[in-house]
Amino acid sequence: MRLLRPVGAVVGAALFFFPIYIVITGMLKPASQIQASPLGLPTAPTLENLRAVLGREDGLFWSSLLNSVQITVFSVVLLTLLSAMLAHYLVRSRASWTRPALLVLLAGLMIPPAVILQPVTQVLDLAGLMNTMGGVVLSNVAYYLPFGVFVFAGFIGTVPVDIEEAAAIDGASRLKVFWLVVFPMLRPASASVMIFLGVWVWNDFLNPLVILGPESGTTVTVGVYRSVGEYSTNFGTLYAFSFLASLPVLLFFVALQKQFVAGLTAGSVK
Amino acid sequence: MYGLLVLVPIVWTVALGFTDKTRFAPSTEWVGFGQFERLAGNDQFWLVLKNTFVVTAVVVIVPNVVGLAIALLLDRETRLYRLLRSVFFTPVILSGIVVSVIWQSLLRPDGVLNAVLADLGVSSAPRWLADPRMALFSIAGILCWQMLGFCVVVYLAGLNAVPRELYEAAIVDGAGWWRRFSSVTWPMIAASVTINTVMLLISGFKVYEHILVLTNGGPGRNSTASIAFDVIEKGVRGDRIGSAAAEATVMLAIIVLLSGVVLRLLQRREVQL
Repeated sequence: MRLLRPVGAVVGAALFFFPIYIVITGMLKPASQIQASPLGLPTAPTLENLRAVLGREDGLFWSSLLNSVQITVFSVVLLTLLSAMLAHYLVRSRASWTRPALLVLLAGLMIPPAVILQPVTQVLDLAGLMNTMGGVVLSNVAYYLPFGVFVFAGFIGTVPVDIEEAAAIDGASRLKVFWLVVFPMLRPASASVMIFLGVWVWNDFLNPLVILGPESGTTVTVGVYRSVGEYSTNFGTLYAFSFLASLPVLLFFVALQKQFVAGLTAGSVK
Repeated sequence: MYGLLVLVPIVWTVALGFTDKTRFAPSTEWVGFGQFERLAGNDQFWLVLKNTFVVTAVVVIVPNVVGLAIALLLDRETRLYRLLRSVFFTPVILSGIVVSVIWQSLLRPDGVLNAVLADLGVSSAPRWLADPRMALFSIAGILCWQMLGFCVVVYLAGLNAVPRELYEAAIVDGAGWWRRFSSVTWPMIAASVTINTVMLLISGFKVYEHILVLTNGGPGRNSTASIAFDVIEKGVRGDRIGSAAAEATVMLAIIVLLSGVVLRLLQRREVQL
C-alpha cells in the first residue's frame, strides 16, 4: 500500500510524458528507425536531423531564431517598464478616473486575440508598421499590458508608500522616485512578469504569422508551422525543429524553476 | 497605445460587424443588424459555435478535475514529487504550434499511437483526426494535455497554503479522508479553483493554432472549426471582414458574459468562507 502513491505518480507522469519522449528519441533516430520502431530508444543515435535543421540552405531556423529573440526581448523589456509605471501611477494616484481605468485594463485580460486582430492590422497599416518587427512588438506590448499591470498593481498594494513620500520630500522628481526607489522594490513582481511574458511572447503564433506576413521573415513558431509541409514525410527533422524552437524556453524553465512556480502562485493565490 | 491597439480595435470590430465590408469591395455600407441576422440563419455559424462550446466545456472540466487529483497525489515535498511536477508542467511552456505538431505525428492513421494500440491488440483504432465526430474531442484532449500542468501547479500552491492545524483538528475529530477533503481542502482551495476555471475558459474559447495544424477546420466543412478559427479564416485570411467582425462581436459578448458569470459564482464561494 505504501508503494501505491509513488508508483501511481510515476506511471501517470510517464504516460503523460510519452509524447515528449517520442519527440526527443525520434529526433535522434534516422527516418528508417522512426518507422520501424517508433517507441524504442535510438539504437544508433544520430545528430543528422538536428544538423539538417541547423544547416538548412535558406537559414530558416537561424533567421527565425534571431527574429524571435529580438521580438521577445524588445516586447518584454518595454512591457515590464511600461506596465510597472502605469500600475504604479494607477494605484498611487488619487484622481477619480484611475479606478475605472484599472478595471477597463483588467477587462482586457480576457479579450481573445482573434477578436481584435483584423482592426489591429489596419491600425498598423496606417502607421506603416505592417510587415515589420516593430509592428509585432507594438501589438504585443498593447495586448499583454493588462497582464503586467495586473501583477504589478497587486504587488504595489503591498509596498509601503512612506519611502516614496520621504524620497519626494527630499526633492526627488517623480521619475527619479519611480526609477530609484519604487522599481527596485518591485523586483519580485518584475521577475514573474518577465518570465510569463517571455514565454507567452516567444510562443506567440497568430500575431507574428499575420503581422510579419510571408515576406518579412518568421519567428520560430511560424517557422515550425511553415516546415510542417516540407517535412511531412520526415518526422525526425520536424521533431528536431520543434525541439530547437522550444529549447530556449525549456532552458529558461530549468534555470528559473523556483521563480516560475513562485511567479505563478503569487498571481493565483492572491 | 493600449487604447490605440486594443480598445480602438474592439470598437472597430463591433462597428465593422454592422457593415458589409469585404476586402476588395469599392465601398462599404452600414447594414445594421444584417450581418447578425445572416449569422443567425447560417447553420455553419451554429456548428462553429457548438464546437467552441464543446471544446471549452471539455477543457474547463477535465484539467480541473484531473489536475486536482494529480495535485493531491503529488502533494509531498520530496525530490521525486518535485521532479514529477516539472514533468507535468513542461507542456504548459511549449507553444501551441509545437504541441500540435507533436500530436499530429502521434495521431496520424499510421502514427505512433495507433502502432501502440495495434501492439496491444486493438485492431480498429479510432480515426483520431479523420473522423468528424472524433476529431473535435482529439483537439480538446490535446488542449487538456497542455493545460493540465498549469492546474496541477496552481492547485499544489493552493494546497500548500492550507494550514496544517486544520487537518490535525479534523483527524482528532475522527474525520475520514473524504470528510477532510470535502470540509477542509475543498473550501480552502476555492481561489485556485477560480483561477484555473477562468484560465481554462479563456484558453478553451480562443483555441486556434491547434485546429489550424491538426485538422484545418475539417474533416468536411467546419466539423472542428472554433469561433476564433472561423473569425480568422473569414476576416484575416479571407476577405469577408464584415461577417467576421459580427462573429467576433458575438464571441466577445459571450466571453465577457461567461467570465463575468463564472467569476461571480466562484468568488461568492470564496467570500463565504
